[in-house]
Amino acid sequence: MWRTRYADCNGSEASEETEIVVNIGGVKQVLYGDVLNRYPDTRLAELVDCLLKPSEEISLLCDDYDPDTGEFYFDRDPDAFKCIIELYYYGEIHVKRGICPICFMKEMEFWKIDSDFLDECCKCQLKEVEDELAEIAEKVRTILVDREGDPSAEGCQRFQMWLWRLMEKPDSSLPAHVIAIVSFIFILISSVVMCVGTIPDLQVEDAEGNLVEHPTLEVIETVCIGWFTVEYVLRLISAPNKVKFILAFMNIVDFMAIMPFYVVLILTSFGAGVMELANVQQAVQALRIMRIARIFKLARHSSGLQTLTSALKSSFKELGLLLMYMGVGVFLFSALGYTMEQNHPDTLFTSIPQSFWWAVITMTTVGYGDVYPKTTLGRCNAAISFLCGVIAIALPIHPIINNFVLFYNKQQVLETAAKHEIELMARRSDDGELAASPGAHRHVCGAGAWDVTVHSSCHSETSVPLLKGPTGAAQTPSVDTSFESTAEATEYFI
Amino acid sequence: MLPQLKVTMEKSLAELHEAGSRSTSSLPPGPVDIIRGKSCYRRVRLNVGGLPHEVLWRTLDRLPRTRLGKLRDCNSHDSLMEVCDDYNMEENEYFFDRHPGAFTSILNFYRTGKLHMMEEMCALSFSQELDYWGIDEIYLESCCQARYHQKKEQMNEELKREADNLKDRDGEEFDNTCCAEKRQKLWDLLEKPSSSVAAKILAIISILFIVLSTIALSLNTLPELQDTDEFGQPTDNPKLAHVEAVCIAWFTMEYLLRFLSSPNKWKFFKGPLNVIDLLAILPYYVTIFLTESNKSVLQFQNVRRVVQIFRIMRILRILKLARHSTGLQSLGFTLRRSYNELGLLILFLAMGIMIFSSLVFFAEKDEEDTKFKSIPASFWWATITMTTVGYGDIYPKTLLGKIVGGLCCIAGVLVIALPIPIIVNNFSEFYKEQKRQEKALKRREALDRAKRNGSIVSMNLKEAFARSAELMDVVVEKSGGPNANHLSPSHWKWNSKRAASETSSNRSFNMQELGSPSKVRVTSPQRLNVQKLEEMYNQMAKTQSQPNLNAKDKSSRGGKQRDVIELGAIQDHSPSVFGAREGVGDMKSLSSIDSYISCATDFQENPRLPLSPALESGHQESNCFLYGPATNLSQQANAKSGQQTTGDRDPILTPMSATKSLCSESARRFFFSRNSSKTIYPKGGSRSDAESGLSPLSDSSVVSDHSLLSTEISVYTTASSGTPPKSPESTALTVFTFHDSSISKYIDADTDDDEHHRDLSDSSPSGHLLASASSKCSITKNYQRGTNHLEAAQKVLGQNCLFPLEGVRSKTHENHIVHEIARRPKVERGFQKTVDKSL
Repeated sequence: MWRTRYADCNGSEASEETEIVVNIGGVKQVLYGDVLNRYPDTRLAELVDCLLKPSEEISLLCDDYDPDTGEFYFDRDPDAFKCIIELYYYGEIHVKRGICPICFMKEMEFWKIDSDFLDECCKCQLKEVEDELAEIAEKVRTILVDREGDPSAEGCQRFQMWLWRLMEKPDSSLPAHVIAIVSFIFILISSVVMCVGTIPDLQVEDAEGNLVEHPTLEVIETVCIGWFTVEYVLRLISAPNKVKFILAFMNIVDFMAIMPFYVVLILTSFGAGVMELANVQQAVQALRIMRIARIFKLARHSSGLQTLTSALKSSFKELGLLLMYMGVGVFLFSALGYTMEQNHPDTLFTSIPQSFWWAVITMTTVGYGDVYPKTTLGRCNAAISFLCGVIAIALPIHPIINNFVLFYNKQQVLETAAKHEIELMARRSDDGELAASPGAHRHVCGAGAWDVTVHSSCHSETSVPLLKGPTGAAQTPSVDTSFESTAEATEYFI
Repeated sequence: MLPQLKVTMEKSLAELHEAGSRSTSSLPPGPVDIIRGKSCYRRVRLNVGGLPHEVLWRTLDRLPRTRLGKLRDCNSHDSLMEVCDDYNMEENEYFFDRHPGAFTSILNFYRTGKLHMMEEMCALSFSQELDYWGIDEIYLESCCQARYHQKKEQMNEELKREADNLKDRDGEEFDNTCCAEKRQKLWDLLEKPSSSVAAKILAIISILFIVLSTIALSLNTLPELQDTDEFGQPTDNPKLAHVEAVCIAWFTMEYLLRFLSSPNKWKFFKGPLNVIDLLAILPYYVTIFLTESNKSVLQFQNVRRVVQIFRIMRILRILKLARHSTGLQSLGFTLRRSYNELGLLILFLAMGIMIFSSLVFFAEKDEEDTKFKSIPASFWWATITMTTVGYGDIYPKTLLGKIVGGLCCIAGVLVIALPIPIIVNNFSEFYKEQKRQEKALKRREALDRAKRNGSIVSMNLKEAFARSAELMDVVVEKSGGPNANHLSPSHWKWNSKRAASETSSNRSFNMQELGSPSKVRVTSPQRLNVQKLEEMYNQMAKTQSQPNLNAKDKSSRGGKQRDVIELGAIQDHSPSVFGAREGVGDMKSLSSIDSYISCATDFQENPRLPLSPALESGHQESNCFLYGPATNLSQQANAKSGQQTTGDRDPILTPMSATKSLCSESARRFFFSRNSSKTIYPKGGSRSDAESGLSPLSDSSVVSDHSLLSTEISVYTTASSGTPPKSPESTALTVFTFHDSSISKYIDADTDDDEHHRDLSDSSPSGHLLASASSKCSITKNYQRGTNHLEAAQKVLGQNCLFPLEGVRSKTHENHIVHEIARRPKVERGFQKTVDKSL
């Protein structure tokens, strides 16, 4: 039973105006027609017009109408209404702290207020929350698809789906998990073999006196490549969208990991006739480097690496900044170093491009000691370049780290949220089946916001612990309630 | 201003009066009335913690299995009282004594089907609310869910850790074997350096030995100091060997003593710090054993190699320092907890090393006399470059190699920097927590010492949280003297303060109220178990968010406007709630508040009557309830007589002592316990009925006796101990729980102060007075708010007349209501008079 101060200050001049008493979830408020008519399309403005109409129409508009006091009752959140009513006085809406923006949008929808009236500052917040929700929804969808697959598929398609999940979703089943682990081990083995193969002691000389890899290592290598190939082909076959699959980053990496082997194989067996031997060997050498790509295959199996890539992707600008700072510093200090060291008889700074190397090593504080200044001025320059290097690296790295931490935390949050969301969905679907029959007499709110499936829920073990003891007392009046509820159902149905 | 107030006061009093008389005669409404009442209205009014809500019945029907859904189906008085805390059929209003802030979101769940959590709401208390209202937390919308679960897990983890800590301490019981006392002393001496001066000295000696032995170990390897044995091999310097032997002897002795005195041998053996100790000692003995026994049998070379390995293990003794340094311990813990991130760091590094070493290998391998001979050989270069160490033993020489090297440097900096902040975060969090616990531990030890000295009688601290002890020790520090006379204190106190109250304003008036509460209140909290405390803590946190209405001076306004202010204030104060909650976060348990308040009363007395016996007696009075059931009754009788005499002499005091119940959590439970003690806890209820003939006070004490039997009841003891004052004001006030907010304020201040108090625990009474003087002003301020508020609350109640309060009250106390009624008019008059005067 209170009037807002807005109402008070408008009271004098608008005394002849229609007064409307609204009761929002127990909080009463007196509003004035002229104020409400400022936004004629809204629900509150409709109230002003409908005062003269029959009560049936009025009751369509609000949840309850008391003809004696002329009080409109709305079964809504009074807190949100307080924010919404500000529109009529100030022309803009701010979401109060503590109200969920999504929830508030629902309220605005109910009061038929366009979301444009929401102020910019609050829109940001809304956007953030919406983004997060969208991400969670996306995650949930992928999990659900992983879990159940597409029920409409049949025969060949079903097999394809099964294969897809087996190869791509380690969490979906035990065999898929095993395959993921095996794949991981193969990646490790092939990487180790690649490294070990370069140790001179383990290499053998071939007919021409060149050092080549040990035959056992080559066999292992072949087996690994065989596995990778099978994996890639199976994935490709089972992929629902082939083009998208081939263009995906991880699959490009996969392809790069196996491709060199086959190219080398082709070149050595057929290339000799076409090209010169030296050229072939050079090409083979170049392709060997590409074998490094298999290390990136690890990223498929580590969420941390994926976080790293996404963090780096999102902080592209900062990375560029870092490189730019470094570049500027390198140019500046190598030139300075070169000029200052020029006078020294046996200087190590032979040219500016030569001293780039020195500048990089100094600025990143690595300091091999292969190139170092010998004059006093050069040493001062080195000290300054070192300091500048620390700063140039530290400054842009901070946002990158921030991004990384953000992604890292977000991933964890997303995972829990998705898990709970799925639980909730499972619960709701269960309840939905249960509620199908007894839920007949229940009504759907006029606003339609209520989710029907939630009706007969909340039967968890947590519910009303107090009622556990005297159940008899709680159950005895069940006869009355049935009578009562049906009576009310007929009486109050809108 | 004054007349207006008077009018409202009178009005409210009259209404209460009338209601009271009605309720004493009438019975609770029958099922027919209830059904009729329900069918009259489409809507229902729900009053949750003072905040009115109005909702359609059919909205509540959407979740029929929840508490609110059941409200509809309850047709008898008893079942209704199980669901809600109070109801008023005429007004169609149901009262729930819960946090109004959380209820807003919960009611919105009924309305919209979307359960959102208030942003500033504590996740744990919100989950408590959800439990109460019977809603599964799974219905939380996903936008709030992530936050909710994160917070909840965090809180649960913290609580678990605290409980573990407590259990650890509980485990240190020396009751199973012989000479327990000596072992306890030895254990304290060796394990708790802060427990005594001797223990501290011992710890310092131990540190010195560790440092000495490490220095000796390093010096041993200097070629100039080494001797050569008969085989021409360098061996230890004989002097250094002596030092080593002494150090090892000390370590061995320490370890053995610890082992002997430990209460749980296996746990001691498993402890990481003790494993380190063992590893520091063992190599020495193994070396001796090997060299002595196998000299002739085994090949000399083999023995030597083994001995060398064990010599290296000696360096583990530097880790013994971890026992004496919190920083090292938290480092260890952090590494253990963030192994995920550490793994990530290593993975990043490993990948970078792999990639760059193979790249540089292919770039450099054609160079003449290159050092990048193979990929494994260039691993070393990649590691040194990525960590930006850069020895310079290997460096690239070709242009391609240099480009790779530059990229490697930058990538290294990036890759190492990325996961570090997460680890750092873990570390700082844990370090903070550790520091806090250390502080708490110190306080606790001071308390233990005080207990052993006999200054405190039977505080059952094991069931309280460590942090509550921080505050409790303030109680302990006084009450040094023997509890000789329990009879006189009340006279002393009341008389002296009465004089003060009549001269001064509200402020002194409030102080008086505080005098009496302590008597009754201190009893129960000590019996609480951990879970209860946790729960109560949550509720505390909830009640925090009650607005602090007292800030405004509104005593002159009518009830209507007050309602407005209330609503406004609830919104306005929401940001400030944050701060308040933080304060409570440190508190953790109700018992500490109770005890603190009881000290607060003592503090107040001090400045007024410095060094007077009243101080002494006040403590004794509050202490006498700590004795146990046997003494309780007789002392209660004494206290009762004191109370009654004061009641006759100074009627102001009796009604106002109700504030004491408001000042605590117990207010929240007040209704509940009174109304439903019969149905839900029949034991406690029947006992109190049986004994209630004695006096209001003694009946509460009987309930507190029960608290020894079951902890559950003990929670309600606090509440029922608030029942004795039979004046209408007391009932009126309990409806509103706003006073908690002032307490939270107080606690805020207190957390800053308590270091101060702790220091004083061993000091003389004069120092003690100083402390109390310093905290006095905050106390008085808070309690002044209390009264302002009290009046406000009362009037609001008078205006709204929310529930048939008197009916409720009469149920439990019908037995003695007769003489209470006889006294009441006087009481009221007195109360009114003082309020007028104070204004």
